[in-house]
Amino acid sequence: MSIHLHNIIKKYGTTPVVDDVSLEIEQGELFVLLGPSGSGKSTILRMIAGLAPLDGGKISLNGRDVTNLPPQKRHTGFVFQNYSLFQHMTVAQNIGFGLDIQKIPRAQRKERIEELLALIEMKDFGGRLPSQLSGGQQQRVAVARALAQKPDVLLLDEPFGALDVKIRGQLRQNLREIQKRLNVTAILVTHDQEEAFELADRIGIIDKGRLLEIGTPDQLYRHPASRFTATFLGNANLFNAHRNGTMIYMGEKHLPAPPNTEFLAGQPVQMMFRPEEVVIAPSSQPLDGDLFGEGIIESIAFAGALERIAIKLDPTGELIQALISPDVTRKLGLRPGDSVKIGVKNFHLLPVE
Amino acid sequence: MKERNLSLGGILLLLAVLIYAGVLLLAPVVALISNTFQDGFDPFWKAITDGEALGTLWLSVRLAVIASMFNAIIGVMVAWVLVRHNFWGKGFLNALVDLPLVISPVIVGYVMIVLFGRLGWLKDFPIKLAFSWEGMLVLTVFVSLPFVIREIQPVLGGMGKEQEEAAYTLGASPWGTFWRIIFPSIRHALTYGIVLTLARSLGEFGAVAVIGGGTQGSTESATIYIYRSLNDRNYAGAYSMALLLGIISVLILIVMNNLRVHKRGG
Amino acid sequence: MAQAVAQLDSSASQARSPQIMFWGLRLSVIIYLSVMILMPIFVISVQGLRDGWDVFWTSITRPVAWNAIWLSVWTAGLMAVINIVMGTTTAYVLVRYRFWGKGLLNSLIDLPFAIPTLVTGVMLTLLYGPQTPLGGFLDDELGIKVLYSQTGIILALLFLGYPFVIRSVQPVMIKLDAAQQEAAHTLGASQFTTFRRVILPALLPAMLSGGLLSFARALGEFGSVVIISGNIPMRTQTAAVYVYSQVEGDKMASASGVSLVILFIALSTTLGVDYWYKRNRERSRERA
Repeated sequence: MSIHLHNIIKKYGTTPVVDDVSLEIEQGELFVLLGPSGSGKSTILRMIAGLAPLDGGKISLNGRDVTNLPPQKRHTGFVFQNYSLFQHMTVAQNIGFGLDIQKIPRAQRKERIEELLALIEMKDFGGRLPSQLSGGQQQRVAVARALAQKPDVLLLDEPFGALDVKIRGQLRQNLREIQKRLNVTAILVTHDQEEAFELADRIGIIDKGRLLEIGTPDQLYRHPASRFTATFLGNANLFNAHRNGTMIYMGEKHLPAPPNTEFLAGQPVQMMFRPEEVVIAPSSQPLDGDLFGEGIIESIAFAGALERIAIKLDPTGELIQALISPDVTRKLGLRPGDSVKIGVKNFHLLPVE
Repeated sequence: MKERNLSLGGILLLLAVLIYAGVLLLAPVVALISNTFQDGFDPFWKAITDGEALGTLWLSVRLAVIASMFNAIIGVMVAWVLVRHNFWGKGFLNALVDLPLVISPVIVGYVMIVLFGRLGWLKDFPIKLAFSWEGMLVLTVFVSLPFVIREIQPVLGGMGKEQEEAAYTLGASPWGTFWRIIFPSIRHALTYGIVLTLARSLGEFGAVAVIGGGTQGSTESATIYIYRSLNDRNYAGAYSMALLLGIISVLILIVMNNLRVHKRGG
Repeated sequence: MAQAVAQLDSSASQARSPQIMFWGLRLSVIIYLSVMILMPIFVISVQGLRDGWDVFWTSITRPVAWNAIWLSVWTAGLMAVINIVMGTTTAYVLVRYRFWGKGLLNSLIDLPFAIPTLVTGVMLTLLYGPQTPLGGFLDDELGIKVLYSQTGIILALLFLGYPFVIRSVQPVMIKLDAAQQEAAHTLGASQFTTFRRVILPALLPAMLSGGLLSFARALGEFGSVVIISGNIPMRTQTAAVYVYSQVEGDKMASASGVSLVILFIALSTTLGVDYWYKRNRERSRERA
């Protein structure tokens, strides 16, 4: 076990910002803490690095209890949101800073700096000052600096937050490659679910200081355990329903229950399905899937490869979001105001909160 | 606001400003220079190389240098605490820092007599502060206290605490972090603050006049010397020393301007 | 790697309990500032009021004392008003226009910060004294006496206070959004209207805070005033000079009352400006 958090707590005054969080992370894993801003995810990272003292709980890194150790003794590499490169030092001096502190001999230090510059593909930039670098380059230097001492864990606080959308994708790929190549355990904090999906081995969802659930991106997207996770990880259609036998009832309508649900008969539940699980057909034509209901198309909007369609459900007037290929809408000749049958390919059940 | 070439209105405004600044700032300087040198360079040279005059200048320089060194060290500590720490009453303490600029120096000197004078509240204090060199030093430290603090605060605030934290996670001790990370970043602001402190200390008169000056030689600073010379109608001595202090100030001003360019450059 | 870790351990262990060190540092700073700055305020307050309110009141309402206080207040006030106008104009010219010698003018403005105030006094005496060309002209032709007069005091304070407003207004002016002005122009506002409705309100806080700071600073001015004012009781003796002469004459009791009044005005001005400026900034941030 590379990182182990036991019931850690952090309070500002009496308000808990990190509320009894426990977590185990495997060697070589890239774990993403995902949550809205102010959810306490950065504070958890700072607690692991020793930059914020704990008000309760225990932290161990590689089996070593570091709870009461200062940041200097924790062997973590930290990449700050604004990179925090030392402005008066060159790129090489920044990367070599930790090695210098350890009094590593000059030749060895130089070799290690070269190695890291090669790793981040910035071989010719060793003599530059941070102010002469682009945002993306600064971020890579910050990663190299954090890795220089071969830390037990790499901690990244919103490392892509200040960058253009365009170069984020490239840098994510680089980071992922570096992390896997070095097999270093890493925790990355972000509020961007797309980023989390792209990078994470596993994701932990944080809200209001609590770790709500942990899972692989696929698990959390398809089978979230809470409404918060369901809506935070993308668009979700949610409806109140209850279970009766093998069927899920929504008023008069009913659908067969998905196999992996263990809700008792008569228990109220929430039905959740993603917009891409929705299928539609004109009233006069057969539907490819289980019938969920009927409604009127409210709007059709361009959304890249697919079209985002809002449908007003009869008779309740609730809105359903659907993502449909433009080919389908064109073939069926669908327009706003048309009546359609609505079907659902797959759905998931959530407890009522 | 964008910079433009002069328009007609602009020329009028510029003229008004030049006349105001010229009469207010430049004309007095010219008057001092022409008066000092009206009988040539020799009287000036004789007046400032006079043993007594040199002695007072030496005292002023010593006071200014020691006070600046002290304020530099303490100022960095104060600025760091005021920027990085949060505690109850910090806003109030921060506002207090400016007060030495507006408390009349005469009043500060008077406070020293009330505390440490012959009949003072603390008359048995082991160090003789009233009417002594040490007392003048304390007063000089007081009147020039804000400069270093006020120069460093914005730089520390601007750099944020993350660079310090980054150094900690990379294994640097607090002391090592100060020398390797903080000090290089505040270097220019610190120098600027020290130069301001020097200028202020060297020219201090009101506070030290109240408690110094009694015994010539040991507690007479250059400014007190000027004042006494005027009263003794030793005009050559007074003007020459005034000019010398003025020249030192202008040199300091030039250094300040060069530093400001550096400070802006980072 | 193992060697590196071992070395890291040894170097880090030298940083023994930094938390305690920081607490100590914080405590020292608080104590230092309190002793250095609150002590004088405390001493003057106690010294001024310890014989009771009546004694204090009598000491400041003696005609000589009262005149000295009033003279300090009105000369400093007048100086602040003039320098708010001239300082803002100077800052405007410096920020707005390109002209030869601008850098020199900009540096010259700091002269009063650098030059000892006593030297200022000497310089003004040499410029305006009755035997000098300018002083003689003013006296003979226009009947204006500068030396040993209230005019001289105001001139000295104007010199001293000139940079305050400029240095407080300049940065605000530089940041002032050009687009805002252009927008006002496109809306049909004349140059003057734009200045009055758009620029002036944005600058006002900086102008006032610079002016009030120069006021507080001028209130206690000693070095330049003691030389140019001639120290004539009831006419040209300012509060600071009054305190000095009382202390010199070993009349401590009468020095305390006037000191307290001057200190009180200077402190309330400075702390008031600080408070008001902060609140103003917060409010404009909320609006943004």
